[in-house]
Amino acid sequence: MLDVRDLSIAYQGSIAALRGVSLTVPEGGIVALVGNNGAGKTTLLRAVSQNLRRHRGRITEGEIRFDGEPLHGGGPEESFRRGIVQVPEGRRIFGTLTVEENLRLAAAAAGRRRDRAVIQRVYDLFPVLGDRRRQRGLLLSGGEQQMLAIGRALAAAPRLLMLDEPSLGLAPQTAARVMAAVRQLNADGMAVLLVEQNAALALSIARHAYVLELGGVSLDGPGERLREDPEVRRLYLGGSAAGTAEHDSAGPIDGAAAPGPAATAGRLVVEDLAVSFGAVAALSEVALTVEPGTIHAVIGPNGAGKSTLLNVLSGLYRPRRGRIRFGDTELIGLRPHAIARLGIARSFQNVALSGGQTVRDSLLLGCHLRMTAGPVRTGLRLPGARREERRERARVEAVAERCGVAGLLDRPVVQLAYGDRKRVDLARAMCAEPRLLLVDEPVAGLNATETEAVAELIRRLRDEDGVTVVLVEHDMPMVMRLADRITVLDFGRRIADGPPGRIQDDPDVLRAYLGTAA
Amino acid sequence: MTRLLSIVLTGLSTGSIYALVALGFVLLYKAAGVVNFAHGSLLLLGAYVTARTWETVGFPAAVALGVLTGAGAGLVVQRLLADPMRDAAPVALAIMTIGVDIVLGTELSRRMGPDIVVLGHPWGGAAVRLGEVAVPANRVIALGVAALIIAAFLLAFRFTGWGVAMRAAAEDPEAAALVGVRVRRVVTTSWVLAGGLAVVAGIFLAGSPTPGLSPAVGLVALRALPAAILGGLDSTTGALVGGLIVGVAESLAAGYQDELAVFGRGSGEVVPYIVMIAVLLVRPAGLFGTRAAGRV
Repeated sequence: MLDVRDLSIAYQGSIAALRGVSLTVPEGGIVALVGNNGAGKTTLLRAVSQNLRRHRGRITEGEIRFDGEPLHGGGPEESFRRGIVQVPEGRRIFGTLTVEENLRLAAAAAGRRRDRAVIQRVYDLFPVLGDRRRQRGLLLSGGEQQMLAIGRALAAAPRLLMLDEPSLGLAPQTAARVMAAVRQLNADGMAVLLVEQNAALALSIARHAYVLELGGVSLDGPGERLREDPEVRRLYLGGSAAGTAEHDSAGPIDGAAAPGPAATAGRLVVEDLAVSFGAVAALSEVALTVEPGTIHAVIGPNGAGKSTLLNVLSGLYRPRRGRIRFGDTELIGLRPHAIARLGIARSFQNVALSGGQTVRDSLLLGCHLRMTAGPVRTGLRLPGARREERRERARVEAVAERCGVAGLLDRPVVQLAYGDRKRVDLARAMCAEPRLLLVDEPVAGLNATETEAVAELIRRLRDEDGVTVVLVEHDMPMVMRLADRITVLDFGRRIADGPPGRIQDDPDVLRAYLGTAA
Repeated sequence: MTRLLSIVLTGLSTGSIYALVALGFVLLYKAAGVVNFAHGSLLLLGAYVTARTWETVGFPAAVALGVLTGAGAGLVVQRLLADPMRDAAPVALAIMTIGVDIVLGTELSRRMGPDIVVLGHPWGGAAVRLGEVAVPANRVIALGVAALIIAAFLLAFRFTGWGVAMRAAAEDPEAAALVGVRVRRVVTTSWVLAGGLAVVAGIFLAGSPTPGLSPAVGLVALRALPAAILGGLDSTTGALVGGLIVGVAESLAAGYQDELAVFGRGSGEVVPYIVMIAVLLVRPAGLFGTRAAGRV
């Protein structure tokens, strides 16, 4: 059905993104594409949906055929008309449109304006969308948005569905539900091309898979076979061969929270916190204590209020009620910049970097807080200001080295793969040399090897630099290995709090979050 | 009291015309991300065509010709200039429209010369009496037509496929293209509609109490820009409310100019901008504009 032959692609002003890639998706097949960040997976999807131009990329060699007929270069319009629909990375649903409008739009574009059945099928597949059909997209939780993104593509009744990182940022249970839906669609005859960082998930449903490395196919074969391949296991599945065993410093398992190396002055205490948006209570009666020098994880299903909690801690949201003390300082009522000055930095779930800048500029911005020269001294290039700038530039390189993004320093942020952006965002937060670091899904979009590197980095921040870390993350193995203490949220309430060993066995947590399977 | 009522009515009717012009700004800003500074000269072009043709083809046909010319001019600007520049920075597009405005405006001024051209409105200078207040019939009709057009747009945005596609393309053109929205067509449609709307406004602007069409009428578009901005450049409701606010404020300043003499004569001219700045100080995205907000 889809035949990609010897495809090479280059983006303006950078090296080749794809080099001689060949790939086939058979009629009714389900094919997965796995590989590191920046390997060229998204680029391949863009080529098939003919959406390269917008990203200043072009095909330098090779050909793409669909149903035996080459793509004629008619842009996304042509690919869509021929039945190829891509669900872009990061959901990209229309937040100002209602759920129903999102679906109706795609149905109408596919010439099915009057076809209620096609939208009803989406509601059957994802009942929660049916319940929220009149709500605007931006009010949905991450998991619901992902369902809407897939549902929106389905409303166009595609013949080939291309999914870019559908499990990104989803709680395990939700990710499993999305994958089950994909499998069901495929069973009904739809061909699927799946790009997925979570290789275990992808290989479990793909009949055939390709491993992409540095723009080329390094390996391909049936899903089960790749799953058994020792190289794939080591690199992408986080198998027993790597990481887990040798770094098994799972933190104190006993009940009491570990007293950190720093004084209790840096303790973060949240009491009786309540946040609401209109009539919706996002958080209620939430309490937790983060001991200095520990890693404190906050987990819970999508929409549980984890990001909201971080937003309150960093001063972006005003809570309706509650107290938050960091050391002796009350945080509620402080503006975000004042909170940042207390030594609280954060990284974001939806990476907050400005696009056109290079990675180096973004990181320098992270140093801003520590720089004392104002615009006047900097503008006049006085010696002190220049010395300071030199010092910060050196620091940026050191932090980049530590975060594994040194090789990306001069690339514009827009060109980076999602997972690389996440690492840059973490590096930006670290540049402020925080005492308390809030990280929102730092390993979303990273594969097993990359995840282990970030986990190691966070561990060293705690052990060597004495930084306190509040970690929001869906990767349970990572959380269990890394966290000293875990708070579990569900529907905006705290349902459990304790060391990882106890959380793992808590029946409420299993039910709410990990699903019965876990 | 009569004076106040008359001033407010005049203000509302001018404001409704501003709202039509502002709606054109909003359409283009939403669909294409362009602030179209050529709006005034498109308005002038269409009204000029009406003025030159009504004696031979009659007023209704002349209006149709004028509106079609405005819409066609919008199409030409889009196809010849804006579309090839679609990957350029928004500011480059805005400057391109300033260029179009200067070229087109200069040529039209040259053709019109110093004369004031009449448009042959069948209602001429008739006035409608509401109790003791007299308002030009032209303005009353303008108010009604503007209300109809704006209501139609608000409904279309909400309920038609075109409206949904338009909002989707405005929010995220890439994602819209991926679900089959023909983004380029949406943009073209907006240019055409904006051009047509400008001319409708222009035809009323050149009627009573204004003596007729002169190059100065094109400058009115510049007064509708603060209306669009204070309402929120990406909000149709904002265009309506912004237009009415500017119209009434201007009319109040003109009507009480003796009392406001301390600020000098003609302070009505600057009132739209003062109101805009005052609003933006409190609400930087305008009254109904969406703040650049997102999930973090």
